[in-house]
Amino acid sequence: MELGFTEDERRFRAEVRRTLIEQVPERIRQAVREEKPLPRAWMVEAQRILNRNGYAVPHWPIAWGGRDWSAVKRAILAEEIDRAGVPKPLPFNVALIGPVIAAFGSEAQKRRFLPPIANLDLWFCQGFSEPGAGSDLASLRMAAVREGDHYRVSGQKIWTTYAHKADWIFCLVRTGQGGRKHEGISFLLIDLRTPGIEIRPIRTIDGYHHLNEVFFDDVRVPVENLVGEEGKGWDYARYLLGQERTSMGNVGFSRRRLDRVRELAGPLLDDPGYRRRLTWAEIELKALEITQMRVVANERPPSAGPDPKTSILKVKGGELLQTAAGLLLDALGPEALTAGFPQAAAEEPFQGHDARSALVSAYFSSRKYSIFGGANEIQRNILAKAVLGLGKAA
Amino acid sequence: MNFEPDEEQRLLAASVARLFEDHGAQPSADPVRQWRDYRDMGLLGLPFAEANGGHGGRFEDVMLVMEAYGRALGQVPYPAVALLAGRLLEAAGGPTAQALLAEMIAGTKRVALALYEPGRRYRWDDPATAAECDGEGWTLTGAKIAVLGADRETVLLCPATTAEGLRLLAVPAGTAGVAMEMLPTPDGRQAANVRCDDARIPAAAEIGDPARNPALIAAAVDGAIAAACAEMVGAMERLLGLTVDYLGVRRQFGVAIGSFQALQHRAADMLMAIEQARSMTIHAVAMLDAPAAERTVAVAAAKALVNRSSRFVGQQAIQLHGGMGLTAEYPAGRYFQRLTVLENLFGDTGHHLDIVERAGV
Repeated sequence: MELGFTEDERRFRAEVRRTLIEQVPERIRQAVREEKPLPRAWMVEAQRILNRNGYAVPHWPIAWGGRDWSAVKRAILAEEIDRAGVPKPLPFNVALIGPVIAAFGSEAQKRRFLPPIANLDLWFCQGFSEPGAGSDLASLRMAAVREGDHYRVSGQKIWTTYAHKADWIFCLVRTGQGGRKHEGISFLLIDLRTPGIEIRPIRTIDGYHHLNEVFFDDVRVPVENLVGEEGKGWDYARYLLGQERTSMGNVGFSRRRLDRVRELAGPLLDDPGYRRRLTWAEIELKALEITQMRVVANERPPSAGPDPKTSILKVKGGELLQTAAGLLLDALGPEALTAGFPQAAAEEPFQGHDARSALVSAYFSSRKYSIFGGANEIQRNILAKAVLGLGKAA
Repeated sequence: MNFEPDEEQRLLAASVARLFEDHGAQPSADPVRQWRDYRDMGLLGLPFAEANGGHGGRFEDVMLVMEAYGRALGQVPYPAVALLAGRLLEAAGGPTAQALLAEMIAGTKRVALALYEPGRRYRWDDPATAAECDGEGWTLTGAKIAVLGADRETVLLCPATTAEGLRLLAVPAGTAGVAMEMLPTPDGRQAANVRCDDARIPAAAEIGDPARNPALIAAAVDGAIAAACAEMVGAMERLLGLTVDYLGVRRQFGVAIGSFQALQHRAADMLMAIEQARSMTIHAVAMLDAPAAERTVAVAAAKALVNRSSRFVGQQAIQLHGGMGLTAEYPAGRYFQRLTVLENLFGDTGHHLDIVERAGV
């Protein structure tokens, strides 16, 4: 046992912290700390800096830019990125589609996609959810019908984060009927400039535009954009969900939010009721930090699928971000009402009347942490079934 | 005890419900027309004595109206103008206040109470805004924030510190030296931040007097809090209704998600939170005529509990709606935004718990 960080891990943390502060411009880190939505160009700029330092895709195969770093070190890296206010490397690129292409893609796909994905020269969004397939993802219906050297794709995806900023979308599509509903699903890469694709914004309760619906009307997709084998898409999706979990708990992000609470709470820090809520949040964060490291240190081969205990990180990490957002909202008092609220589905950093407006938005936006990527109800089902053995296997 | 509305109250509740739902259904609301509808239905005069040109309604009537307003997500600033500023004018009395009240009831003038200041949270009894008298009138300087119900034609009732104590000045928003910034609130309404720089206010614009003002304002605020509690109960009730409907129609894994026991229990918890909130709202309304100390504790206890219910019900409603709850277009999100604003209004949960604790309850 080695219950603390090793000397080597501590050195690594210090080096990462120094590098991030030196190289990522303060204007970007400040906007992230203030929780303002970033312009696309700033996100690209930040990811290129990370990539240059080997920080964007350390979990990838070494041949494609990965590093031979332990999962603990990668978790330290993810935490420091969040703490420093550096935008995370785009998760759709580096945590989701990249590893799937690296594992199951053709050599041509790897050469074509992996370097620009790592460098955010190419921006992917995720086309999984559909109006009738959310928690029950395998019910998806978007159809891809093979015709010679291409597929004809028709259907709809929803809740697609940043589709309006993306170049490509990776989609689960139905290529076969009959059998169990997990069968007949395939994994396609689709260029968003292809004719027949329409992206419509979904404005959310935080006043911003991050989400979209994406409509596909008889879209022609070359067969070369199929990842792996036809009909194996569900396996690849499971592999994808078992990928990089080192930042699942959002430890660094919660740390940053609680620091912000201390900056803004002022006299409330002397209020015993408020103080106690903050103290509990700090204790929860410490527990989460260690639970995160315990899950991370227990490395499993990706083929084993997701570690069911990552569900603990998802639920507890999301709840803590929500708690911290509530503390921030309450710290604003009546000023939350007139900090200004974005009205016209703001895209770029909202030029609100003061920096606090973004925190009011963050309270509303934080409800998403218990909904997306498998709602907390689904995570609890996983824990009950896969860890505790209650009920039937999913 | 009898918690059932009488015949007249049932009629009132039914007709305001119809009006508010009509307003809510209008794609682009015309606030001027809506305000006229409130006047024509007698709502602007509802809570005021007949001697003051009102309709002599009781707090219970106001509660019914505000529940309906909450259910329909009312947009016009009825609670801020009539139930807070209007009630303060009536309690203060005197020619200036009575004239303003008459115009407010007639629908020709808006009034709003500028209660809060930057950096002072919910404290209003010791304003940094100050007024000096030079024999002819007042010179007013200071900043007020989050004034709901105010627009550029509103008469602002501004508490100000003077050598003699807390004065209340009626300041038309257009007065020279008064700058107003209208800002969108998270629930799609507007509130004003106001700056007064050496604004000249005639001596006759004073309302109330320093000896009575703190008690007058406290009573008006308590009445407005009780009204906000009723609005929150109405909003929560409708939000739970939307949620239960959604649980019935949203299908995943081949069944309506409302068939999952975990979600049924969550909805049942929401129901209990709302019923407890309704009970405390009734308690607050019943205590509005009690001596100030008892009234204030009852109202604070009510707001604390209604706030807690509201945060729970709002957050869970979004959760049970999944992604749909996060969209600005679907009504659940708008109710959550409204409840979040109301929770903040007149003091958050911690603020009201402090009041109850300080009273030694």
